[in-house]
Amino acid sequence: MGLEQRQLAIGFVPLTDMAPFAVAREKGFFERYGLDVTLNAENSWSQIRDKLALGEIDAAHMLAPMVSASWLEGAFADERFVSALTLNFNGNAITVSNDLFQEMTEADREAMTERPTTARALRKVLSRRLEEGREPLTVGAVFPYSSHNYAMRYWLGAEGLNPDRDVRMIVAPPPLMADHMKSGNVDIFCVGEPWNTVAEYEGVGRTIVRSNEILGDMSEKMLAVRRSWALSNPRTHLALVSSLLEALRWLDARENRNEAAYILSSDEYVGKGVHLLSPALVGRGALPDRRSLVESEDFLTFYRHGANDPRGDDALWFLTQMVRWGQIIAPTDIADVAARAYLPDVYREAAQRLNLGDPTNVDLETKEAARSNGATHQTFIDGRRFNARDPIAYLESFARHNMRIRPHQAG
Amino acid sequence: MSTVPPLIVLLIDCDPDRAKIVEDGLRGAAVVKQAHAAHGAELLSLIRRLQPDAIIIDCESPDRDTIENLQLVARENPKPVVMFVENGDGSLAKEAVRSGVSAYIVDGLSTKRVLPVVEIAIERFKMFDALWRDLEKSKADLEARKVIERAKGLLMDKRNMTENDAYTAMRKMAMEQGKSIRDVAESILSVLTLLDD
Repeated sequence: MGLEQRQLAIGFVPLTDMAPFAVAREKGFFERYGLDVTLNAENSWSQIRDKLALGEIDAAHMLAPMVSASWLEGAFADERFVSALTLNFNGNAITVSNDLFQEMTEADREAMTERPTTARALRKVLSRRLEEGREPLTVGAVFPYSSHNYAMRYWLGAEGLNPDRDVRMIVAPPPLMADHMKSGNVDIFCVGEPWNTVAEYEGVGRTIVRSNEILGDMSEKMLAVRRSWALSNPRTHLALVSSLLEALRWLDARENRNEAAYILSSDEYVGKGVHLLSPALVGRGALPDRRSLVESEDFLTFYRHGANDPRGDDALWFLTQMVRWGQIIAPTDIADVAARAYLPDVYREAAQRLNLGDPTNVDLETKEAARSNGATHQTFIDGRRFNARDPIAYLESFARHNMRIRPHQAG
Repeated sequence: MSTVPPLIVLLIDCDPDRAKIVEDGLRGAAVVKQAHAAHGAELLSLIRRLQPDAIIIDCESPDRDTIENLQLVARENPKPVVMFVENGDGSLAKEAVRSGVSAYIVDGLSTKRVLPVVEIAIERFKMFDALWRDLEKSKADLEARKVIERAKGLLMDKRNMTENDAYTAMRKMAMEQGKSIRDVAESILSVLTLLDD
């Protein structure tokens, strides 16, 4: 079976979780499937989206919510993105400046030692600052349609804070975030690796909570392609998904993670030292004097727990957050978008051909049991469950929101 | 003496050659402010202070997402954005318009083309922005009408008022309290439904 297209250009943002692309190339997985892949580093998510939409690149390392966002009214051009592969779960964290860490600890020492750390101490800091008439704090997230943005907002909202009123939210690219913190322009941020480790290592800030403690097992990055491309290149698409799935399986083995850090340290990929890349990958702290927060088996999940199955539930959850925070302003059938943006059949075919069995079948029984009452696989810091059968009721249950359109059930 | 105030254009581009083409192309028509050294919060406060008529940004700039957010989230202070693309095969140079915000310029940028491109971007942006505002306004109007109707119904039901009396009462309250009828209707709704529980 010949491939429709052998040469592919793929765009990525230099982050630790672009690893599957670097590994697929360096370990020969692309080649094994007859693909000749060029990897292009891009400076921004906007650029990734524009280049993919306009056909400058064939596929991309993309923030999971961006795939669904491409289906919304007013989205870029007329191109819709689809994904047949989730590249990882989790992998982000919230870091605060040293000054803010101090202030939060003084405000509520107990709250700061609890795991997971909530925004309770931050709430106290914010009300004190308000009374004293000081400037509101500045919160940095990496892109409007990102799990970082939603994790940060969820974390704030869970403690009754309104991200659009109580703090100033700004967007800045991750490589500049630590610099912003150093110069006092950002007090708290949510970014992916290696940027939390960099901030810790450079003594700029303290990482206080991991994204998997806020939104556990939420899809993070996905392989995105144009819908039209997927339709006209089914064999190439399957080959690409298969090769990346092999790279993801390789990455799952802990003994390969140090080598992965070494691969990523090349200027072609992330271009940061192994000491900054490996903590997130091997689950060990970067700093000798204290255990870093990235010390967790599931800080960055590439493959296990059925991570690669593009799950409509995750898309639906992201879409509820877009409604919750006022990003969706036109009437939208979010269930329909969630159903069309992901191509789980392509993933299943790749998984079966690789004889992986069906990695989604792990814990099938417990999952089915959970599903019978509509609950999905993700876990949330406030103990809520997302009921994918009734996203409207779920949305209405949040006291903190900035909805600009009233949710209602279609039909 | 021209009475038309010059345009203010914010330029985010590290390439000095291109920056010069832009400055030359806009000479006499616009004041060009360079902003390639400001990022994140600093860049945003610069935009707030300057209130530029348009922003020109290099499409490879790491500040793209910051500018993008300016357009997307709650549409706080949106600005027309023009982007430079410098690539050989030119597929990115296809003109891409999203919510009337961006225009792409083909490479080989010439001084003569700068002003028309900026003017078109501003025009197009104004058009989309007006459409968007109309849409928002009609949505808000519709919502207000619904709230007012419900409050009126409650007053008629619980206070035995006629429709006319209920409306007059709300209008009077609005005038006395310096609020909109919608706000009055909303407080009536929350007070009367609270008493119900």
